[in-house]
Amino acid sequence: MGGPPPCLPPPQAGEGGEGPPAPVMWISILRTGAVLVTVALPVACVWAQQSPSAAAKTTAPPPAEASPNDIDGPTLFASVCGFCHQDGGRTEGKGPKLAGTKRSDDFIIARIRNGKPGAMPAFGGAFSEGQIIAILAYIRALEDDAN
Amino acid sequence: MALRGKYLTGCAGLVLAAMMSSPAFAVDPSRLLSADQNANDWLTNHGSYKSYHYSPADQINAGNVKNLEVAWTHFPERATRGIQSTPLAADGVLYYSGSYSRVYALDGATGKVVWSYAPELDEELVAKQTHSPYNRGLALANGNVYVGTVDGRLIALDMKTGKPVWDTRLVDSKKLTVGFTGAPLAVKDTVIIGSQGGEWPGRGPIFGVDGKSGQKKWEFFTVAGTDEAKATWGGESWRTGGGGGWMAGAYDPETNTVWWGTGNPAPLYDWAGADWQKSGPRPGTNLYTTSVIGLDPDTGKLKFYHQELPHDAWDFDSAVGEFLSIDRGGQKLMVHPNKGGFIFVYDRANGKVQNVWQLTKNINFVKGIDPKTGELIGRRDLSLGKADTPLCPAIAGGISWNSGAYSPKTQLYYKISQEWCMDITVIRTTPILEPMAQLNIGADFKLVAPPDGPARGRLDARDPVTGAKKWEINYKQPPLASILATGGNLLFVPDSEGVVHAYNAETGQELWSHGNGMGHNAGIISYMAGGKQYIAVPAGWGSLVSDEFAALWGEPFKSMAKNTGALFVFALKQ
Repeated sequence: MGGPPPCLPPPQAGEGGEGPPAPVMWISILRTGAVLVTVALPVACVWAQQSPSAAAKTTAPPPAEASPNDIDGPTLFASVCGFCHQDGGRTEGKGPKLAGTKRSDDFIIARIRNGKPGAMPAFGGAFSEGQIIAILAYIRALEDDAN
Repeated sequence: MALRGKYLTGCAGLVLAAMMSSPAFAVDPSRLLSADQNANDWLTNHGSYKSYHYSPADQINAGNVKNLEVAWTHFPERATRGIQSTPLAADGVLYYSGSYSRVYALDGATGKVVWSYAPELDEELVAKQTHSPYNRGLALANGNVYVGTVDGRLIALDMKTGKPVWDTRLVDSKKLTVGFTGAPLAVKDTVIIGSQGGEWPGRGPIFGVDGKSGQKKWEFFTVAGTDEAKATWGGESWRTGGGGGWMAGAYDPETNTVWWGTGNPAPLYDWAGADWQKSGPRPGTNLYTTSVIGLDPDTGKLKFYHQELPHDAWDFDSAVGEFLSIDRGGQKLMVHPNKGGFIFVYDRANGKVQNVWQLTKNINFVKGIDPKTGELIGRRDLSLGKADTPLCPAIAGGISWNSGAYSPKTQLYYKISQEWCMDITVIRTTPILEPMAQLNIGADFKLVAPPDGPARGRLDARDPVTGAKKWEINYKQPPLASILATGGNLLFVPDSEGVVHAYNAETGQELWSHGNGMGHNAGIISYMAGGKQYIAVPAGWGSLVSDEFAALWGEPFKSMAKNTGALFVFALKQ
């Protein structure tokens, strides 16, 4: 039962970038995950630095065993959340702006997990706890232009 | 919001009594064939198989429409995301659906409830869905009312009693998350309905179901539905390719062909850029997504197709369910709007392109489309990273799913255009290899004004085949409701701020308007009850397109409720 993963140096340029043609799309999750882990960790670290008490405040236990794929918050956000939370959550669109949100970590985690009827789907079944924490980390790392 | 309902008058009471004591007011399939000539009823989602959204009724006309007033209203339960359906009417009874596939049968003259039906849905599943829990319409045939559900079922209700006749699960929504929001289409003894899809990873099936027994007759996969189509998806991408045919299409009885439009491929946007044939998450043209397909209604067999946007990289799908059968100079044509803002004109016999014309002004995802072949000219394939200029139109499209109208009297096609663009950053996402309960998108984006002015909407009156424009009306925001033309030389447009407008269909002059107090994203119809013409429109705001309005225009959209609705029915003052 760990908190945020330990901080690592930023990835080398080129890591996680465009791979070889077609076959890379169908590589195993394991290989994809290996690419993602190096990209995603710094984000988790930003979150840890900005919100040191986040893990302690979280009511739900963190994932027992996070897979490397769990922690790619930015990619997960662009795949799923950005449809409504536009410009990567930096601006109001279908859904509210998330950058600079004053909502607590508990609130955000609960909202991702349970959704809001008629407005936001519940992602508790689709995302692991680790993925939810990664999305929270992504949101906390967003710069708020308005402030 | 004023409630000005009338109690049962003596005359209407007699009509109701006669109606209730009459034998089954069945709608048999042959009656659907002549629906376009029928001024009394509104028998299919698009008014008739011809998709005109037109009623020949002329009791209410350009001369007296100023005397139109609310006759009665009805308030549905649980109107989450407002009301998005187009009502139906048969033999003086109005049928409409609300969110959670709730169905109401109402006396057309008085609004008195004949019956109502609320299916028990998988609420846990509904809570996981984005494009939910709205319902966009019903079908009538075989003495039944047909309605799809967001948890993957098609249900037949007895038209007289509202009691379920059968209830068939067609989609494993627990696995695929999506179900049905679009209206079914009844053709002979088959009821056809398309699954949601697009950015949801699945294979977007369209189903044919026996209207009497509820037995599934066929299933056509809009993603890799044939070997030829499968070859247009690199690797295993066809398994989660999206597609979907989420709006009801049309039927051409002469060739026994169902015309249906299909959704976009998943993921939405990809990073392959111009190399999309060979790389990216779904290399290839991705058949039959963003296509118009012709199916045999009896077997589900594909007769022909035209892919309007090969390898749709912009979410400008073909799922708009509007297919206008137009006969012109000996040619039998089918007119179909694409979300990207172009109108395609096909030969009804074989789906071959006869013309393509541009409705939306602000378009830059292509430089143009060849009007002779339908081939895209100068396509703009986005690469990884932020696009240097906004993509036009925006994700919500130059055209949305709400239908236009065609008047055989004026021979004008009335169609709403949406003028907006978006900043976009394409992001490389993790390939999704199995269907799962999440969207599959690959970009960050933000809606912005187009280069030529503010974000806005426009109604054009045009020739449906050539696109020649007769007049236009500009709106501060795009109207999101399906519109109505009538034999009374009228055009009705329910707008987004909550006002219903009636225009002279020849000239576009506004003749009447009425505020319903909330935005419209449903459909407006005309029908007769007891010898009197009525105009019915559900109000109630909250579609995914309307969700964009608060950020773009502020009030009244910031404060507009998205969990309420009402059916407003208008008639001439006595």
